[in-house]
Amino acid sequence: MHLARWLFGLGFVLTALLASAQPTTLTILTHDSFSLDKNLIAQFERQSGIRLRFLKGGDAGEMLNKAILSKGAPIADVIYGFDNTLLSRALQADILQPYRSPELSALRPELLLDQTFRAAPVDFGYVALNYDRAYFKDKPLPERFADLASPEFARLLVVQNPASSSPGLAFLLATVAAFGEDGYLDFWENLRKNGVRVVGGWSDAYYTHFTRAGGDRPLVVSYSTSPAAELYYSEAKPKPSEPPTANLFLPRSSFFQVEYVGILKGTRNLRAAQRFVDWLLSRPAQENIPTQMWVYPARREARLPEVFRFAAVPPEPARLAPQQIAQHRERWIREWTQVVVQGQSAEAVRARR
Amino acid sequence: MQTPRTSRPLLNLPGWLGLPVLLFLALALFYPLGRILVLGFTEGLPVALTNPYYGLRLAWSLAYGLGSSLLCVGLALPLAYAFRYRFPGRDFLLGFSTVPFVLPTLVVAMGFLSLVGPKGVLGLNLYGTAWVLFWASLLYNLGLVLRPLVALLPALQTPLAAARTLGASPLRAYWRVGVPLLLPALLSGGSLVFLYSFTSFGVPLLLGGPRWATLEVETYYALAQRLAFPEATALVLMQLAVTLVVLTGYLRLQERLALGIGGYGSPLPLAPRQAVGLALLVWGFFLVLYSPLWNLLWRAFERPAAWLSVWNSPDFTPGSLALFNTLGFAGLALLLVLPLGVLYAYAVWRGYRLLDGLGLLPLMVSPVAIGLGYLLAYPGWRGSLLILIAAYALLSYPLLGRALLPALRAMPKGVVEAARVLGAGPWRRFVRVEWPLVQKAAFSGMALALAAIMGEFGATLTLQRPEWATLSLAIYERLGRPGALPFYEAVVLAVVLMGLSMALLALLERGFRQRGEF
Repeated sequence: MHLARWLFGLGFVLTALLASAQPTTLTILTHDSFSLDKNLIAQFERQSGIRLRFLKGGDAGEMLNKAILSKGAPIADVIYGFDNTLLSRALQADILQPYRSPELSALRPELLLDQTFRAAPVDFGYVALNYDRAYFKDKPLPERFADLASPEFARLLVVQNPASSSPGLAFLLATVAAFGEDGYLDFWENLRKNGVRVVGGWSDAYYTHFTRAGGDRPLVVSYSTSPAAELYYSEAKPKPSEPPTANLFLPRSSFFQVEYVGILKGTRNLRAAQRFVDWLLSRPAQENIPTQMWVYPARREARLPEVFRFAAVPPEPARLAPQQIAQHRERWIREWTQVVVQGQSAEAVRARR
Repeated sequence: MQTPRTSRPLLNLPGWLGLPVLLFLALALFYPLGRILVLGFTEGLPVALTNPYYGLRLAWSLAYGLGSSLLCVGLALPLAYAFRYRFPGRDFLLGFSTVPFVLPTLVVAMGFLSLVGPKGVLGLNLYGTAWVLFWASLLYNLGLVLRPLVALLPALQTPLAAARTLGASPLRAYWRVGVPLLLPALLSGGSLVFLYSFTSFGVPLLLGGPRWATLEVETYYALAQRLAFPEATALVLMQLAVTLVVLTGYLRLQERLALGIGGYGSPLPLAPRQAVGLALLVWGFFLVLYSPLWNLLWRAFERPAAWLSVWNSPDFTPGSLALFNTLGFAGLALLLVLPLGVLYAYAVWRGYRLLDGLGLLPLMVSPVAIGLGYLLAYPGWRGSLLILIAAYALLSYPLLGRALLPALRAMPKGVVEAARVLGAGPWRRFVRVEWPLVQKAAFSGMALALAAIMGEFGATLTLQRPEWATLSLAIYERLGRPGALPFYEAVVLAVVLMGLSMALLALLERGFRQRGEF
């Protein structure tokens, strides 16, 4: 009898605790690199009466997979941070509902890639190779993209797994654009033999394996704005006049990336979600994005911070048509996995196509 | 004369008792596994079989399972002979040897990382090597082989002595009598270790890196990173085929083993000097074997700031939420585990043979496969808490059931009969007579089930929503992140989780003597 009473009490307490969640909370699923000024968020919460809760779901690809897997019982109201390389996966999985924000007209028209208005562009940037200047002080830098696979630069590069990371995928696509459908696998096979290191996501690569963070890899796949960010966050006194890292703009090694926000189907807070999207595209939030997430705002008239003069735009970024990405992305990732992670030869993988 | 066997009606009393369990198994195990079989055979296997890489993964998983079981058996045998003697701390060590088995995988993995990982204190980085995986397997499973052996050895004395009396030389006696008697125990222990290592997930995921991924880890990668359902199911199929073969063998051996051997003989006396020598040797071995765990405790106090920051860290799941989730989910799952476990034990006790074997199945299927099966079978329920709770209940109710069963079987029949004769109805009998008699075993079984739920990692990771992070997931999230603080926060959470499991085990040990079959 004691047991029954005990169980009843336990059940009661648990139900009470689980039910005590706040009703007007808006949940936003983001990638791990998401960041906005706390004051700005607090201001939005005060004005709108909506409480924001940010749910970090891993790197962009992993985060999107979580949203797709929880389709029908969405884990959030809004998803932010999937990019143009993943856009078609998000659209095909049919997890987003259309919303035509009035702010869209103020955004750069070339970013509006989704004609169904389910994904709204928030920011853009360039995935690019970065290097540690101190390491390369008296050593030559690679000059061509293919040099990365030459013995001179063995065991210097860390990249992200394109299956789970959006900069990783962007870099893979850059290699497809640069070396072609057939050549990209050979390039990666050579990279593997040359000791490239593959990690799960951007923050792991940049903050753990890059030499700037105490790792052993002076070359990393990151963003064209990362050197500017290094300077911005530098704690050295006096502040150095130049960033400790720099972009390595090898021809066609950078990739144009646009990040999107979308409202997840099945949300119970549609109005609040729409207000949040409007706010994310509004000028105050857009002007906060550059120094928080180190990408360019999608809004035309948003001003860039001064430190962005250190953020160079790559001269010839690689480009692939969105349809081409949508059509072949999964196969490229699969083949990449077979060559780089599973250690098969490029030839054998091509033979099984 | 042969009497025709009257087949009993399917729904007699044990049938009714077992029905809810069967229903639950059908929904929570067979249907999802069926979906895996269908997708695996139609789409997955052609893809997986043409990819030589998966053959390599299977080969490594087999090698890991086989190597682990050989290692455990090879070390357990001489240790068991040492444990025949009385030496200081003998009982404690023997009791402790099965404790790691119920420690959450993430705790054990954290222990290794803190000792021999990239940030380890030894300055020796074994991360990504096979050595660390075999060590971990030994730490986990040694007790599983050791304890039955220690119980068995005294029973060998009489037959061995008989063989000697009949004129056999010591060697011959051992070879012809001792070894055959030991063999079933060694094989059954070995196959149990094989099953656990072959399907292991958390340790290879965290310590092995991509190079030493088991099939279970590879399944998770295929699913979480690429959403490649067919490939993932094919991997599950490969694993299932091996598991079923070994499991069948194991159950056969168990039946043979159940005969005849019972209880621990009292240890043999030893001269004080020899006892001390033996103690030093055995203690030294266990101290080294368990050093990752001691080290984890030590490192948790290296950076006191982590004990404060972990509860409210802005970048990760706060420890408070993870603790709340862990306890809450375990509590909710218990609401299912309790009726399922009790009904299962009662139905089997009353003679429902079919359920006996079926009910054990959840202990042997892989949690990642369960998670994958749910995602396939109940797409509409993806991301609902019910699915996770059902998985927890499925994976842990057999622990309660198996703990309860020996207690039920040991119940004096006369007492129950007397209650019936004196006019007590079934419910009243249960509450006033039977329950008090098996209460202790039930509590220890519940503790075991709860410990398993709180440390569960594979199914949680597959079925998770970010806001449901349990302690295991909160640890996983902090690993591989920049800086020292996340690492120390992970250590703190691992120690908290270890503390919770140990507290439950203390509860478990209270009823230890009534626990029989594992």
